[in-house]
Amino acid sequence: MDFAIDNIIIPLIKIGIVFGALSGVVALMTLAERKVAAFIQVRLGPMRVGPHGILQPIADGIKLMLKEDILPAKADPWIFTLAPIIALVPAFIVFAVIPFGPSFELWGKTIALRITDLNIGVLYVLSISSIGILGIILGGWASNSKYPLMGALRSAAQMVSYEVALGFSIMGVLMIAGSLSLVDIVNKQKEFGWWFVFMQPLGFILFFVCGIAETNRAPFDLPEAESELVAGFHTEYSGFRFSLYFLAEYANMIAVSAMAVTLFFGGWLRPFSNVAALDFLDLNFLALGPALTGLFWFCLKVIIFLYCYLWFRWTWPRYRYDQLMKIGWQWLLPLAIANLIVTAFVVLYFVKE
Amino acid sequence: MAEAETLFDASELTVSMGPQHPSTHGVLQVKLKLDGERVLDAECVIGYLHRGVEKLGEAQTYGQFVPTLDRMDYIAAVSNCLGYCETIEKLIGVTAPPRAQYIRVIMTELNRITSHLLWLGTHAIDLGAITTFLYCFREREEILKIFENYCGARLTTHMFRIGGTQYELYEGFKEQVRTFIQDFPKKVDEYETLLTENRIWLDRTKNVGIISGKDAIDLGLTGPSLRGSGVQWDLRKAKPYCVYSEFDFDIPIGEVGDTYDRYLVRMEEMRQSARIVAQAIEKIPDGPIMAKMSKIIKPPVGDIYHSIESPKGELGYYIVSDGSTMAYRARVRPPSFVNLQSLKKMVAGHMVADVVAVIGTLDIVLGEIDR
Amino acid sequence: MKVKRRDLSLIKRLFLVDLIRGLKLTFGYQRPSANYTEQYPKERPKIAERFRGAPRLNNDPVTGETLCIACNLCALACPEHCIEVGWERDPAGKKVLTTYIFDVSRCMFCGLCEDACPTPCLELTQEFELSLYGRRDMKLDRQSLEEGVQPVIYLK
Repeated sequence: MDFAIDNIIIPLIKIGIVFGALSGVVALMTLAERKVAAFIQVRLGPMRVGPHGILQPIADGIKLMLKEDILPAKADPWIFTLAPIIALVPAFIVFAVIPFGPSFELWGKTIALRITDLNIGVLYVLSISSIGILGIILGGWASNSKYPLMGALRSAAQMVSYEVALGFSIMGVLMIAGSLSLVDIVNKQKEFGWWFVFMQPLGFILFFVCGIAETNRAPFDLPEAESELVAGFHTEYSGFRFSLYFLAEYANMIAVSAMAVTLFFGGWLRPFSNVAALDFLDLNFLALGPALTGLFWFCLKVIIFLYCYLWFRWTWPRYRYDQLMKIGWQWLLPLAIANLIVTAFVVLYFVKE
Repeated sequence: MAEAETLFDASELTVSMGPQHPSTHGVLQVKLKLDGERVLDAECVIGYLHRGVEKLGEAQTYGQFVPTLDRMDYIAAVSNCLGYCETIEKLIGVTAPPRAQYIRVIMTELNRITSHLLWLGTHAIDLGAITTFLYCFREREEILKIFENYCGARLTTHMFRIGGTQYELYEGFKEQVRTFIQDFPKKVDEYETLLTENRIWLDRTKNVGIISGKDAIDLGLTGPSLRGSGVQWDLRKAKPYCVYSEFDFDIPIGEVGDTYDRYLVRMEEMRQSARIVAQAIEKIPDGPIMAKMSKIIKPPVGDIYHSIESPKGELGYYIVSDGSTMAYRARVRPPSFVNLQSLKKMVAGHMVADVVAVIGTLDIVLGEIDR
Repeated sequence: MKVKRRDLSLIKRLFLVDLIRGLKLTFGYQRPSANYTEQYPKERPKIAERFRGAPRLNNDPVTGETLCIACNLCALACPEHCIEVGWERDPAGKKVLTTYIFDVSRCMFCGLCEDACPTPCLELTQEFELSLYGRRDMKLDRQSLEEGVQPVIYLK
């Protein structure tokens, strides 16, 4: 019985909670995107559905469901249907290894605020997130139309270039932490008393830039560049299938933000977790317990990252395809490798095991 | 087998950009021949917005034709109106009274600012900077409010009549314009903060769509697109019309002739326009606003060409009169139409993304191209 | 006057100065006081006094009789020929207005008819909500022109 509870029931509950929460957050993100865009642009954004438009995601969802689902006559029906699913599923299953907070005791059981702790968590995230790209490429290809095809081509090139730099940029963190498990990485940051962003500032910037590029967000939103390629890879998509791509984009954003928080910003740790003077940041006066406090800090950090995503999108222009490649190969990759080499030396000579 | 190879060249892709496309600024169709992302050839297909404006000019009296012309370059309706009214005034030998001339200058320059603001906003959107668009529209709205207060319409204003203007300045006009002119340079600074030094903007606009001064003249480019190539040619200075000779302003010119230069030229033109308005508003003389002339306009037999500097370039009207109340032939020389011809030269060898940048930098309005 | 081409200096490039300045500007604009939206159906927009909107035929406020003298100048002035004036001669030989048709669907609100009217009869009012369900309804007859277009009331 205990075995069943530990290995089946609790994980299932956790998966249900994470999946449900994530879907809700993704829906809220669509509203947040419109609201932040509106505020930056001295507008109000959606105001008519519910007070201050907070029910807008529901209205949008219903609209997308009820819309006609057009299958272009010359599209490849199977791949066309499959592609958005391929894009969406990896975006969600990445969250299996993200630690949301520390463990806590409930009814005599230790429950960790994560679905699982893989010892190769970082590799898992990287590999799963590259599957999502296939969804974009296949969707663009299966549409059998010129603009989506160009979007897909751009996407393929962009992903290959930035995946490399992304991988190198987090190598420094892995070397310092000495582990590929995301939980270990967070615990290491607690041990050191410093978030890794202070040890790897360049690594963090590179990671975030590559992350933006990986999620196809401005200023690197070339695959869907609406002023050039109409809507890029999802030009031919409508209704529910389109909404899957839409959800995948936001889920990916959240995934990259969560990764950035875990790797560089101490996961669920409060700021400066070893400085006693800042103990009030533990929020003990609310008596939430460490688990909920950890969750709170994690979410706060992720929200800040997500806000940055939106903020960047609505401030900067878009790069051109060749310039994007140039940045990826001429700037990001060499910098990431340099960062890696310097970190390796420092770790080798100064950090005593 | 050999025949099959020549029939189907796998290295080329023909993409039809437009007429329904977010950044062709209306219903322009550009047939692009692409090698990957590189543009080999671009062919413009126009005519989707043809409404027969010139023909309408032959079926309407001289006075009735004015509101129709507002629909030509609807972004700069006041300029269209001014050009036509001046042409007919020249044809019948009437001069608008000085007060009307000053009002015309103020309104035309404000309209130049709105036109450039709209250009900036859409150009920025083409390159992905969406927020600038909304900021531009905020300032544009202030000017449109002035227009609405003055003549009762915001976009297709029908502001002037042949022989002067119909509307006297409203109460509080000067204050409203002064407030706007005082704030406006700061707003331009804001747009420049977002764009002028932004590395992405520099990358996207510098050395894109270069056209030399000689080529520009050969192709008949006018307006900011010509001045961006370093040619000092502005009809307001070169052949002063209205009362432009009484104001002190500079003509900005570029060096290289790329998209960035044209961007800078237009930004500076907005500041200069604000300068002209600031001078004009202090100097408005008193007096009538309509010249004394008969209600029914019957020009003598003859023809005339007159052109003004519209925000897009040289806007010319060629009117042939047969002595009746309607023109025998009304021909418009639209700046956008001529400027568009340089698109092919500008985009050759660039990427797809540069095509939208170049279309944006030419500042075309399809209503004027197709007429 | 030559425009000043800018270049990004290396220091600015390294420390992302240009990008951060942009971010600062957009962040500052998120304050609620910067908001420029008019919530249109909820808030009525301010319409200028001279606004050229829906046409109206004015009656004499004292006698209630029409001010129109059936001179037909508005119909002649209209570039779109969307005005039709019907009249008849009364026993004294004076023109009296019988019917008046104004086709709003073709009107471009240039105001030439208003200018041409020798009496204060024809007026383009501040009413701007002209949408209707059918084109047929857009041909306003004399009665509806005298009443003026009734403002639409939105429930929400």
